[in-house]
Amino acid sequence: MRSWQIGKRDADLERELNSDLELEEEEQRERGLLPEEARRAALRAFGNPTLIREQSHLAWGWGWLEDFLKDVAYGVRSLLRSPALTAVALLSLALGIGANTAIFSFLDAVLLRNLPVQEPSQLVLLGTGSWSGISDSWAATELYSYPFYRALQKNNLVFSQAASIFSMMLNVHGTVNGRDKTEPMNVQAVSGTYFPMLGVSALIGRTLTDDDDRTEGNHPVAVISYAWWTRSLARDPNVLSRKLKLGSTSFDIIGVAPQEFFGTQVGQAPDIWVPMSMISQVPPGWHSYSGQRDESLYVIGRLKPGVSLAQATANINLLFQQVWLSYRDEHVTQKDLADLQKTHVPLTSIANGLNALRDQFSQPLKILMALTGVVLLIACANIANLLLARSTARAREFAVRQALGAKRSRLVRQLLTESLVLAAAGGIFGIILAIFADHMLLHMVSTGTDTLPLDVSIHMRLLLFTLTVTVSTALLFGTLPALRATKLELTDALKDGRSSAGTGTKTPLANSLIITQVAFSLVLLAGAGLFVRSLMNLNNVDTGFNRENVLILNPDPSSIGYKDDEPRLNALYRQMEQRVAAVHGVTAASVASFTFHEGSWNGTVTIPGIDPAISSDVKHNVIGNDYFKAMQIPLLAGRTFEPQDTAASQKVAIISERFAKLYFPKSNPIGRTYHIGGPNSPWEMQIIGIAKDVKFQSLDENTTTLDYLAYSQRHQYIDDLVVRYNGDQTAVSTAVQRAIHSIDPNLPITHVYSLDEQVSGSIVQQRIVAQLSAFFGLLAVFLSCIGIYCLMSYMVSLRTNEIGIRMALGAPRSSVSWLVMRKILLLVGSGVAIGVPVTLVCSRLVSNMLFGIRATDAATVTGSVLGLLVVGLLAGWLPARRASRVNPMVALRYE
Amino acid sequence: MSSMTKQAQQRVGVLQGTLDMLILLTLLYGPAHGHQIGKHIQRTTNEFLQMQHGSLYPALHRLEERGWVSAKWETAPDRNREFKYYRLTDKGKKQLLVEESQWKQMAEAVARVMWPAGEES
Repeated sequence: MRSWQIGKRDADLERELNSDLELEEEEQRERGLLPEEARRAALRAFGNPTLIREQSHLAWGWGWLEDFLKDVAYGVRSLLRSPALTAVALLSLALGIGANTAIFSFLDAVLLRNLPVQEPSQLVLLGTGSWSGISDSWAATELYSYPFYRALQKNNLVFSQAASIFSMMLNVHGTVNGRDKTEPMNVQAVSGTYFPMLGVSALIGRTLTDDDDRTEGNHPVAVISYAWWTRSLARDPNVLSRKLKLGSTSFDIIGVAPQEFFGTQVGQAPDIWVPMSMISQVPPGWHSYSGQRDESLYVIGRLKPGVSLAQATANINLLFQQVWLSYRDEHVTQKDLADLQKTHVPLTSIANGLNALRDQFSQPLKILMALTGVVLLIACANIANLLLARSTARAREFAVRQALGAKRSRLVRQLLTESLVLAAAGGIFGIILAIFADHMLLHMVSTGTDTLPLDVSIHMRLLLFTLTVTVSTALLFGTLPALRATKLELTDALKDGRSSAGTGTKTPLANSLIITQVAFSLVLLAGAGLFVRSLMNLNNVDTGFNRENVLILNPDPSSIGYKDDEPRLNALYRQMEQRVAAVHGVTAASVASFTFHEGSWNGTVTIPGIDPAISSDVKHNVIGNDYFKAMQIPLLAGRTFEPQDTAASQKVAIISERFAKLYFPKSNPIGRTYHIGGPNSPWEMQIIGIAKDVKFQSLDENTTTLDYLAYSQRHQYIDDLVVRYNGDQTAVSTAVQRAIHSIDPNLPITHVYSLDEQVSGSIVQQRIVAQLSAFFGLLAVFLSCIGIYCLMSYMVSLRTNEIGIRMALGAPRSSVSWLVMRKILLLVGSGVAIGVPVTLVCSRLVSNMLFGIRATDAATVTGSVLGLLVVGLLAGWLPARRASRVNPMVALRYE
Repeated sequence: MSSMTKQAQQRVGVLQGTLDMLILLTLLYGPAHGHQIGKHIQRTTNEFLQMQHGSLYPALHRLEERGWVSAKWETAPDRNREFKYYRLTDKGKKQLLVEESQWKQMAEAVARVMWPAGEES
């Protein structure tokens, strides 16, 4: 039934009653009665019109709806009668539901949501997707070469289709044809089979096909994303006639991807897809199309129907062995072959995307989800307590209503409606809160200037989730008080609404709610303590370099035509270093491949007399002469690179302390040589210096084995220009960029950031967990305090009479306060007694997320317990004071 | 919901079957509006059923809901005003037969209890 129908039929009934009533009246008048009397007689003959209307409604089957609307109206009125309680309840609910919704929307975006492609559950990835970059290691299982992908595509028996994705996003400064300025574009190189395999067809034009990917270098075509089409081309309908210039090659735009398709990597949204066959022409010009050992691709496959993951894994591993055996050459050792035999390629389902974010955030998000779940439970307990107190205070009202004939079921339903109204309002506030919170969270997760391309908007699944939470909350806290409120002895409650007789059963439930709240709060508070202290420990880690007063810039010469192996690239870098070093306020400037948390180039080194098995994982950093000065990394021995180290002179290297200790334990490494790669590689390096160990990829890593190479002896793109400065960062940054543009005004600078931002960005995950868990911990404590306060206030008001008598009999004020405080101590104490073991168990679950602190850290737990006690007592202090101020005369007269 | 209907049934209770039947019977003579129906029932029962007109309307609406009568606003021939006229539907006619026979059975049953056969003969 629609409400407008109700209105219509109601009006109809009204009209019918009126017309018949008038008729009756007329007849009465015709019988000779006076108009007034006639009217009264007519009404008498008719009976109660309201009753008629109600009974007619019943006949229409609308009774329930009418009752419901009445209950809602009544509920709203009665909630508004106690605004403070309603506000607290709404706040608790909104925060509880809002936090849950916000975290869940993140969880969904990062962990749960399927890729918007055909049958995503059939998609698998070779390896786990935890690397990205280029490897030349023997038989890596995370990254694959293009020839490997082709061999696998041809020979496997388990995939209906296979595709590959270049593991690095190409951040290019390209030009839209007809414009004179370059703009940043995120380009993803994929195999021609990528779109067909995913079953994604173009919104406009066509997608890439295998034909675009068969021969190297002659298919300059690009598919653009819907977002980029909107952002950069203003949804130009003639998009297919437009071109893009990436590097020196002009690409035809052949299609626009559908709006929902953001690629296959959650948290990365390519603007442009190009075929792998064109990769060497897209800056920075990786040559990853032909080399068997250029392992730089993710390989994904679509399982044939009916093929299990185990079958697929067996077949792929067999193939893996065969392909790699065919890559054997004279450098491959017996050990390599033995390693290959032991190598196992795991297959990972990528139904919800290839996901670097998942590694980083899945555990934090799960933890946060658990935290917010607990917060919601605490909020519910709080509300249950509030309503419990309220409904007990309303015992008289219910008794009167029951005495007047209201049925228990009717009262229960009315109370439940009231709870539903509350929960619905809380849910709405919660959703609004969640929208804000999500934006805030997204901002918190995104390091650097760009917001992470993650769709965390509210959607149906999320709405359903919130609705479930809301309704179950309503039922949870609605049922208890409702059942309790109506289960009363009528006569007792009517006789004295205020005595303790009618409330005898109330306290245990309320008490246990408080105890649970305190226990949960302790868990959250201690967890927050652990995370916050981990974060502090991380912040205090000695990085080995000075993170203050350093700017990092990313110039992009590849986008303006500089090639990887041209000598003029080095000339450009040298010129940049010199011009920037001359800027006022700059004390040192040097290019470097990496500073901190920027990935790595790692590989094997061959050291005479050292077992190659332990020298397999050395990280290399290519730097300029002033790098150590710019980073303030102390040189422990030898010298740094100098102008006389050139492409023509002996190749030299500086090694880290750890490198020296590991490979030259007993001798002075200065002057010794080693090879990067195998013993026959052309890279024979002479050690000229030893630098202090530094943190390289993360603050919590073990010491890295590292060597530094001079860019003057290599020709390659180098990402960073490291600038140490004094004075104002903004002024220096502007001056430095101007200095770079004085060399070439067209040289794009992709990013400018500080080393300090880079370091703090590396612990964004820990920071978010620490901040949010602290927030939720405090929220939990706050909610518990409200719970304690309400219960105690209620208890005091209930026992005013008793307190009055005690005081009249000579009890001092202090002992009255003690009455209240004792109860609080008892409640908090019990909560703590339960909470401590739970905390110890829970904290062990997150021990791998802690840094520099043990999960069972006594100080944290003790601190949390003390904190809880203090705030608990504070919460009880007001009611206790009110109790001690009870005027015995007033209290006694009251009854 | 269920408790609600139960409540309603109890309230209309004893009278319901009878009232429904009386209304249907009244309408057998032709369409009539609420006031006429009420008056007719009162007259034909010789004012025996002291009912308020008002209780008629919920019953009328219930019958309409069940499809036993249909209703339409029409101008009364004697007064120049519109009234809501009720008509017996085919379904209503069948229902009247059912109720009649049920009532008969019940009346006979009650009669047998009240005045056992022996007394009569």
